Amino acid sequence: MLFNSYVFLFAFLPAVLAGWWSLSRWKSLRLAFLTGASWFFYAWWDWRYLPVLIGATSVDFLAGRWIAASESEPRRRLLLTASLATNVGILAYFKYAGFFFGSLDGIGSAVGLGAPLPSLHILLPIGISFYTFNSMSYTIDIFRRRVEPTRSVLEYTTFVGLFPHLIAGPIVRFTDLAEQLKRLTPRLTSETAARGAFFLSCGLVKKLLIADQLNPYVARLYTDHTQLGLLSGWAAAVGYSLQLYFDFSGYSDMAVGLACLLGFRFPQNFNSPFKAVNISDFWRRWHMSLSSWFRDYLFIPLGGSQRGAKRTVLNLVVTMFLAGLWHGAAWTFVIWGLVHGLFLGSHAVLRRAGWTPSSAVLNRALTFLLVCAAFVIFRSPSLGVAGDVLSSMLGLHGLDAAARVHALLPGKFVLLMAALLVFVNVAPNTWQIRLGPRVWQGMAAGIAAAIAVMTIAQPHPFIYFQF
Amino acid sequence: MSSSQAIAKGGGAVGSSASATEVTAAASQRRFVGGFLGSFLAVLAAVLAFNVVVDPYALAGTKLVPTAVEPDRSIKLDLLQKLEHGPQILILGDSRGRQAEPSVVQRLTGHTAFNAAVTGGSAPEAYVFVRYTAHRFPRQKRRYIWFVSTGLTSSAVVPQLAQDSRARRYLSSVPRFGLADVKTYLSTDATKASWRVFEKCVLGPCRSHIHYHADGSLTNQSLHYLPEHAQSLHRAVAAAIAGVRRHPETLAEARRQLAEPGRFRYFDRILTFMNRRGEVPVIVINPVYPSVLAAEEQNGFPARRATLATLAQLKTRFRFVLVDCENSRTWGGNPRDWSNASHVNRANMRLELKYIVAHSHGALR
Repeated sequence: MLFNSYVFLFAFLPAVLAGWWSLSRWKSLRLAFLTGASWFFYAWWDWRYLPVLIGATSVDFLAGRWIAASESEPRRRLLLTASLATNVGILAYFKYAGFFFGSLDGIGSAVGLGAPLPSLHILLPIGISFYTFNSMSYTIDIFRRRVEPTRSVLEYTTFVGLFPHLIAGPIVRFTDLAEQLKRLTPRLTSETAARGAFFLSCGLVKKLLIADQLNPYVARLYTDHTQLGLLSGWAAAVGYSLQLYFDFSGYSDMAVGLACLLGFRFPQNFNSPFKAVNISDFWRRWHMSLSSWFRDYLFIPLGGSQRGAKRTVLNLVVTMFLAGLWHGAAWTFVIWGLVHGLFLGSHAVLRRAGWTPSSAVLNRALTFLLVCAAFVIFRSPSLGVAGDVLSSMLGLHGLDAAARVHALLPGKFVLLMAALLVFVNVAPNTWQIRLGPRVWQGMAAGIAAAIAVMTIAQPHPFIYFQF
Repeated sequence: MSSSQAIAKGGGAVGSSASATEVTAAASQRRFVGGFLGSFLAVLAAVLAFNVVVDPYALAGTKLVPTAVEPDRSIKLDLLQKLEHGPQILILGDSRGRQAEPSVVQRLTGHTAFNAAVTGGSAPEAYVFVRYTAHRFPRQKRRYIWFVSTGLTSSAVVPQLAQDSRARRYLSSVPRFGLADVKTYLSTDATKASWRVFEKCVLGPCRSHIHYHADGSLTNQSLHYLPEHAQSLHRAVAAAIAGVRRHPETLAEARRQLAEPGRFRYFDRILTFMNRRGEVPVIVINPVYPSVLAAEEQNGFPARRATLATLAQLKTRFRFVLVDCENSRTWGGNPRDWSNASHVNRANMRLELKYIVAHSHGALR
C-alpha cells in the first residue's frame, strides 16, 4: 500500500485515525490496534514479508531485555552479537545473497571456472533495510546503557512497525519515540492536525506534482544513454538529483505528517541538502536519519576523525562503502558509496590543510555538481550506463545536436528543472516554512493536495521503496 | 521558526488556562484544518461530478455527450446491422487486428469479410460480434480469423460494450459504475479527457477523426488518432524492451495469470458456439517486434510457453486452427513496417494475412 494511493488515503488512513483516536482511553488496546494496522499495511504488499518483520522484532525485544538484565559484560556482548547477527543475517540473506552469488558467478566465468552457480530468487521483504536498522539501534543503545529497554511488547512492536516509517524511514531510534510511546497523546489537537495536514500535503505535492512529473523525462535520458551529449548528460544528472530529492523528501514529509496525525513526532530527514557548502555538510542535510545512524554506530566506533588523517579517510571510505551497499545489492551502489567516501575523505584532508575554497557560492556550486555526478552512478542500471552518462557530462560525446536537444530536452522539462533549481537554492524547506494557521492557507494546502491526489491514476512506487 | 513552532505558537496551549490569544489561535488552527479538509474534498467532489457528467470513458453511462474513447464497438455493430449480406469471414480481435483489410482477405480467399476487431477487444467483444452476426444472418456458416496475443483473453466486459443494448443480451455480467471507476474519474487524465470532450463536443461541432469503410476497415492508414500510434518506432521499441527487462515474468506467474477463475468464460463460449455450428476458427497469435521478442526469449518468454500450453489443452476440447505469427520473420515481416512494438502496419498485415491464409489448413477456404 503506497502513501500515494487511493486505498491508503481514502480507506486505510481514515480507518486507522478513527480507530486510534477513539481508543484513546485504553493504552494497550491502542498500541495493539496500531501494531495490527501497521502489520496489515505491511502485509498488503505480500503477507510472506510479515514473519520476517515479526521475527526480527521479537529477537531484538528479547535481546534488549536480556542485555539490560545482565551484569556480565561477556554475556551482554554475546547477546548484542546475537541480536546484530540476526539483523545482519536477515539483511545478508534476503538482500545480498543473490548479489554475492551473482558476483561470484561472474568472477568464476571470467576466470573460466566450470558450471555456473545456481541463481537465487529470494523474495526481498520491503523496507527490510529500514526496520533492521531501527531494531539494531535499539539493542546497541541498550548495550551502551544509553536507553532503558521497554517492558511493553506493544510499545516495542509499535516502535518497529509504526507504518509511517516502516517502509522507507526516517530511521527512527527508540530514544526518539520512547517517551512518546510511554505517554501517548490523549487527543488530536488542532495544532497536531494542522501540522500533520500541512506536512502530508507538502509530501503529496513533492512526490506527485514534482518527482513523478520529472520521472518520464529523466527515465528517457537514461534509456537513451548512448545518445547523450554534454547538455543532455548534465540534464540526466541534475534531473535525477532533483527527482530523487523531491521523491524521498516528499515521502519523509508524508511520514512526518502521518506520524503527527497519530500524535507522534518524527525527526527531520532532509534539511535543504542542495544548499550544502561542502560534501560533509551535504551528508548532515541529506537522509539525516541514515547518515547520523552510520555516524553513531559505525564511523565513531571505528575511531571517527580522532586518529589522524589517514585513519579518518579510511573510516570515511569504509562507512560510505557500507552506506552504499545498504542502498542496494548492486555494484552501482557500492561504487556510489565509495565515491562519496572518497569525496568526504578528500574534503577532510583539504580542510585540515586549509585548501578549501573560501567562496561560499563556489563551495555550494562545487558540492552540488559533485553530488549530481555521483547520483548518476546511483541511478544507472549498470556501470556501463553510468560510464556513458558521465563521459557525456565530460564532453567526450560532444555537444548535443539540435534535433537531439529538441527530443531529449523538451521545453517543459528544462523550465521545470530551472524552476526547481531556483527553488531548492532559495526556498525554505518544509520544516522552515512559516505557517500562520489561517483559513486560506489551509484551503491552499487542501487544493494542492487534491490536485496532487488527482495524479494518482497509476501510482509510481517511491524510489526508495526498492531498497 | 519552524512550521510546527509557528503553529504551536499560534495555539499549542490547548487545555491550559484559556487566555484570549490562545483561544483565538486554537480557533484559527481549527479553521486551517477545516479549510484544508473542506477544500480538499470540495475539489475532488467537483472533479468527480464533472467527469461523471461528461463521462469521457463511458464508465458511468450518462451519455450526455460523446465519449473521448472511440466507440468502435457500437460503430462496428452499426456497420454489421447495415450489411445486406452476411460476411463469409469475420475478423475478430483487438487493435492489432484492426489493420486487417477485408478486401485483402477476399482477394486471398475469395470470400467476403468484415473486420470486427476493436481497440482493447478481447473474448467478450469477439463473443458479442460472433453471436450478433449469427443472429443477423442466420443459417450462414462462417469462417473466422481471430487475432489474439499471449495471455489469450480476459473475461472483463468493457462498460462501453455493456452499454450497447445489442451487445448486452449476450453478456452474462454487466459492469456497474464502481469504486475503481471513481478512482479513474478522479484522475487528471480523465479530467483532461473530459475537458477535451467538452471543448470539442459542447463548445465545438464534435467531429470524429476516425472513419470506417462498410466492411469495418479503417478508411485511412494514418494512426494519428489511434491508440497504436507512436511518434517514434525506435523509442516505442526501446521502451518495450526496457519494460521486458525491468519486469521479467516467471513461468509460474504466467501460468497463474492464465489460470485466473473465469478468465476463459467467453473464450470457451465462443469456441463452443462456433464448433456446435460446424465452424472452425483460425486463431492467430499476434506478432511481436523482433528485438522485443528477442528480449522476451532471453528470459525464456514464459507468457508464450504458458499460452501455448493452454492452447494445447483447449485443442483437446475444441476444434480450431492455430497460426503462430509471433515471430514476424516466419511470415516475411519487414521490421520497418510496424506502428509500435506490438502493432504491424498495413503493409506488414498484408504479408501476415497471406501467411495466415496459406497456413489455415483449409479453414478459410
